[in-house]
Amino acid sequence: MVNQSPEYLLAQWLDNALSNEERRAFEALCVSDADFAATVQNATQLNVAAEQFSAPPMPAWNKNASFIAPDKPRWWQWQGLPAVSMAMSVVAMVMVISGFSVQVADGRVTLGFGSAAPEGLSETQVAALVNQRISDYQQSNQAMFTQYVNALKQQQQENSTQLAQYLLTSSRQERREDFAELVQFINQQRDDDQRYYARQLTHLQREINAIDDGYSAVTE
Amino acid sequence: MFEKRDEQLIEQALKGNKKAWFALIKRYETGIYQYGIRMTGSTHDAADLMQDIFIAVFKSLSNFRGDGSFKAWLYRIAHFRCIEFYRRKRPDTNLDEDQELSCERPGPEHTLITDITSQSLTHAMQRLPLTQRAVIELKFFGQFTFDEIAEQLGISSNTVKSRLYSALSKLKLDLEVEHG
Repeated sequence: MVNQSPEYLLAQWLDNALSNEERRAFEALCVSDADFAATVQNATQLNVAAEQFSAPPMPAWNKNASFIAPDKPRWWQWQGLPAVSMAMSVVAMVMVISGFSVQVADGRVTLGFGSAAPEGLSETQVAALVNQRISDYQQSNQAMFTQYVNALKQQQQENSTQLAQYLLTSSRQERREDFAELVQFINQQRDDDQRYYARQLTHLQREINAIDDGYSAVTE
Repeated sequence: MFEKRDEQLIEQALKGNKKAWFALIKRYETGIYQYGIRMTGSTHDAADLMQDIFIAVFKSLSNFRGDGSFKAWLYRIAHFRCIEFYRRKRPDTNLDEDQELSCERPGPEHTLITDITSQSLTHAMQRLPLTQRAVIELKFFGQFTFDEIAEQLGISSNTVKSRLYSALSKLKLDLEVEHG
């Protein structure tokens, strides 16, 4: 069954997709329907007009206004920075490990790492120089230590003498004081004895006197 | 010399390549400008609309997924911007299907279109409702298929055919008048 709607037939005709039956229906409609025929004719005219359409020249318009540049990342946000840092680190390590050394005599470009010797001195001379310096250093150290030990020894002797003298002095004084205390104690003891004997004699005299008094009474 | 594909230019423009974006504009600006003339009937409005369209296209450029042609995507945005343009210009006007926009008298800029047929056609198209004008524009000038037009306008293919038929019926009279 052919779709005979004018819209469909016109659309198929415009797309150049009419089947034989649809073409027959289309042509029949063009003959029978004046409005449809005029519409088809108008479409044909419009097709030609579209092909021949001439517009005025393009005005100068601000194309820049339509472009919004994306934010550019800062240099420290550059993605290659970590890789470059890593590469530089590796290069530095290689230079250090390999004893990197560049010397240009007259141009005075001297780069060096590791054990490169100073200009004008051989390795033996450097070793001798180092040994000489070490020997001097040892000798000066030894002299200084000897001087230090002697000073310590002398100070120790002085301290010992002072201590002995102090001990002697203090022990004499203590002995003197001890003897004085002993003499004082003995004297005090003798005083006490004398008082004791005096009291004993007094008591004895009283008893004798009492006996004498009793005897006298009896005899009387 | 081989021309770069639209997708390549878009990719470069998204990365900030201004030359690529300008190359893309150069490729389509004439078509969009003429679209604007036929849709608005004014060269000044067409220039404004063209700039508006390309600004909108650049802002949405990252959303272009490449599942259809860039041209179809561009004209879809152009259609939305055109509707927006009319809403701004005539806020009280209903842009529904059956609503016809009254034709303004051709201004002095209309005479810039020197070809009489083109001038008559532009004038005649202004008598059509915006929705029918868009179908005529996309079919006869954009050379899109009915399915592509339906997708761009968000309507069915049958509706597109119906609108085209109605537009042609009406435009017929206008062309006759213009030629008369």
